[in-house]
Amino acid sequence: MVEDASKVRMRVNGAWHEFEIGRDIAPSETLSRLLRERLGLTGVKVACDQGACGACTVLMDGMAVLSCMQLAVGADGSDIVTVEGLADDDPLIEAFAEQAEPGYGTALQCGYCTPGFVMTAKGLLDENPSPTADEIRQALSGNLCRCGCYQAIARAVQRAAAGAEEVD
Amino acid sequence: MRKGFKPRKPRKYVGTYRAKIEGRAKANGKTEYLDDIASGLRFPGLLHAKVLRSPHPHAVIRSMNTEEAERMEGVHLVLRYDDSEVAALKPTTNAWTSFNTVGYDTMYYPTYRDRKILGGKAHWVGDEVGAVVVAETEEIAAEALKRVEIDWEELPFVLDPREAMKPGAPVIHPEINPAGNTLPPEPFCGPDIYRLRGDVDQAFAGADEIVEASSVYHYADHGCLDTRACLMMWQDDALTCWTNLYQADQTRMFIAQMMDLPLHKVRVICPYIGGSFGRGNTGDQGYYIFTAIAARRARRPVKFKHTRWEDFHDTRNGTEWSVRMAATRDGRITGCSFYGIGDAGAYADHTVAALKYMSGYEIDECLLAHIPNMRMEAYAVYTNKIPGSCKRGIGNNQFNMTLFLAVELLAERLGMDPVDLAIRNFGHEWEGLPNRSVAAVLKEGAERIGWDRRPATGRGELVDGCKRRGLGFSLHDGWHAAWQEEPRGMIQLGLRLNPDMTVILQAPMAETGCGSNSCAVWACAEHLDFIGVPPESIKWIEKADTETGYKDMVQTDSSVSYLHAELMPEAAARLKEKLLVMAAAKLEQPKEGLDIREGRAFVKDAPETGIAIRDLLWNETMLPILVTVERMPPLEVTGVPYEATFAEVEVDVETGLVTVTRIVQLNDCGTVMHAAGAEAQQIGGQAMGLGEALTEEIVYDEATGIPLNFNWVDYQIPTMLDVPPVDPVPMEVWEGAGEYGACGIGESVTTCICRAVANAVYNATGARVDSTPLKPEKVLAALEAVRHDQQPPSGEREGGR
Repeated sequence: MVEDASKVRMRVNGAWHEFEIGRDIAPSETLSRLLRERLGLTGVKVACDQGACGACTVLMDGMAVLSCMQLAVGADGSDIVTVEGLADDDPLIEAFAEQAEPGYGTALQCGYCTPGFVMTAKGLLDENPSPTADEIRQALSGNLCRCGCYQAIARAVQRAAAGAEEVD
Repeated sequence: MRKGFKPRKPRKYVGTYRAKIEGRAKANGKTEYLDDIASGLRFPGLLHAKVLRSPHPHAVIRSMNTEEAERMEGVHLVLRYDDSEVAALKPTTNAWTSFNTVGYDTMYYPTYRDRKILGGKAHWVGDEVGAVVVAETEEIAAEALKRVEIDWEELPFVLDPREAMKPGAPVIHPEINPAGNTLPPEPFCGPDIYRLRGDVDQAFAGADEIVEASSVYHYADHGCLDTRACLMMWQDDALTCWTNLYQADQTRMFIAQMMDLPLHKVRVICPYIGGSFGRGNTGDQGYYIFTAIAARRARRPVKFKHTRWEDFHDTRNGTEWSVRMAATRDGRITGCSFYGIGDAGAYADHTVAALKYMSGYEIDECLLAHIPNMRMEAYAVYTNKIPGSCKRGIGNNQFNMTLFLAVELLAERLGMDPVDLAIRNFGHEWEGLPNRSVAAVLKEGAERIGWDRRPATGRGELVDGCKRRGLGFSLHDGWHAAWQEEPRGMIQLGLRLNPDMTVILQAPMAETGCGSNSCAVWACAEHLDFIGVPPESIKWIEKADTETGYKDMVQTDSSVSYLHAELMPEAAARLKEKLLVMAAAKLEQPKEGLDIREGRAFVKDAPETGIAIRDLLWNETMLPILVTVERMPPLEVTGVPYEATFAEVEVDVETGLVTVTRIVQLNDCGTVMHAAGAEAQQIGGQAMGLGEALTEEIVYDEATGIPLNFNWVDYQIPTMLDVPPVDPVPMEVWEGAGEYGACGIGESVTTCICRAVANAVYNATGARVDSTPLKPEKVLAALEAVRHDQQPPSGEREGGR
């Protein structure tokens, strides 16, 4: 429930923020823009600004969403997690950073899509901690990597999910 | 764990499977790209510029009223095309150079100075013309642009290059060619018939077999996630430009020369870039200039940034290549005659190089050198469409699409295996036939894909009741060996050894994702092993900065992955010399009697007498030790290595849908600088290439000349579900010059996939689709033609551009 229609409150990476509509943010402002330009959370990337590439993915109340397709006012009362909100030793960050095993390539090249992939994968693993290879591919198919690291990205997610377990 | 590549010469860091140096900062979102830096949070008072983009494919501004836009709240200024400073700007090109830094008088194609920055005439829908609005927000600027009233004089336009070549077609750039749309020849790439060797007519007269082949390669967008942008800020009479095009030094020269500024008053800073793939190619974009002028007048920092629509800004050149190929019965290709039409789009840019330079010099020297009779003729043509320029592989992909169709058809005619035919004929001029590298990549690829199970043409195994399976391949030369990088000129490098034995490495480049920064760091550690400096102790300076740094090496191709490394032995030797001088003084020993190993200087004849380098630095001067190296790349001519792509496809004969089920990508790298990075390029290149092969297509409305899909919903870039398993095979067969003798592979990994897929479709079904992308409707039409035994001849184009 919106208590004060002139204000938007949201919890971002654990801290509450309040914005006054009209003064701090425009009614038409997207969540991605608010996160980047008001809060300086530039790990949220905007590449297509039309929901086609996934670079701006964040968690909203635990669900991976495209922040360029969400109005900031629509996030009132929500709990938002961006890549900056993940722990330094988050297994997904480790896995994307370290992926270099033979036959797969690296999980990132230019890196612009990477935080979006990490957050989409985070949403997946939170819901399904042991996804199959096919489930990973389906879940990440809304994210574009123009450098084409898909083979290594899928592998990195598989490794992060497996934790200490061996991946074949 | 799969079996990895084994290097010819094992090294501690170079050539290994390692994580990229900035991998963590990219995964956790800490890496800063231009758009992260150029924000109002960092630049208080930041203003936003937007340029008017022509809604017409070919039109002149008769008059323009900007009063209402200027009156809008939040608008700071409107820069007009008829402003005296704007109108006085020199005509220019977006192709000053590809490698080195050049000035206005030494740009590569002065013949084609066809761009007027913020001019009054539009040559394509999207052209930057008329007005730039500077406002408090992007939204206000965009709204103000809508309120600019323009009286346009619409001119007739032409979209098809063949139509544009006909007499009577609307002339697009009369200042370049008053008589038509064909670009006049210029000295760099030569005359219309730019390659002539032996006697081609004689070769055809005496040939046992002659085949003809033709194909059309479509435009393709780079699709970098990080859209082009800049931020301009003045402090008194000095300008700072933040950019995300990969050529800081050239950008500085461009801005200085276009705005008549001394070089020390222009500073260009280039952070990490989110992809490049050849976009723009050089630091000579018009938006730098109008944004800089606007920022000077506004007296505030101004940012200009493309939307996704606007970032469809230049493309791979659409090109139609035809070839006639003569051969003997036993499979010796005796002559080729090539004819090309390159669609320049609205501006010349790099089209002529993509068309003529790549084929006439690099491909002819490096792939076709043993064919005794050769003729190449090509024409670049203006049309009223998005400008063609460079994209990953520049003209090579287009040429390969036709060449290996001809090889497939010739092999079929001769009853030979096309792999054998390729080994028999292709190589560079500095090695005889068969070329070892060609044979190695093709044999390894054939083995891995199961080439011996390839069906006869049109007889692909039937799977799932409606799909036919087939195999195809293509071969191409690599073209970033060190000797080919001579145009880069001197390469500059700096090392600073800190007294705690850490290193600041200045290997200036804009990092676009290729991993050249990691390679420079690992090579540095490799050569500083004598003082025990591991990669973790080396900090690469990550922003190219023309004020505080040396000249950046243009990140135009993946040779940057090894060229800094080639300077490391000399840098390490100079550092060692300095340390020996210091140790000799400290130990009171003659320098000649000393050596350094494992971080310790010692007397060669009495190894127990010595001093740790750290103690030498830390306890004495506390000064960093500086070393600078400036050198040409190794220029010994060594020929080039080769690469090949093998693809397996399934063609649904009821729907025409082509599914690529497996790819083997082989690159002879000479020396693999980073095993995981090379494999990432090999795999990623297929994702990009498959987009061009199957789905990516810029669509124009022929009635209006308006592009219909400058967005990522309708312009279809492959996702994780669209790319099949790729078997990446880095190899080391060829030997280049220098310490590493490597060759860039980042461009060539995209070159062969389109033809490999098209040949696999032909192999599976007998249907020929010789224009990209291989959309289902084209495949169905070709299948229908096979059914009626009316396969159109190669010269006939299928589908439209």
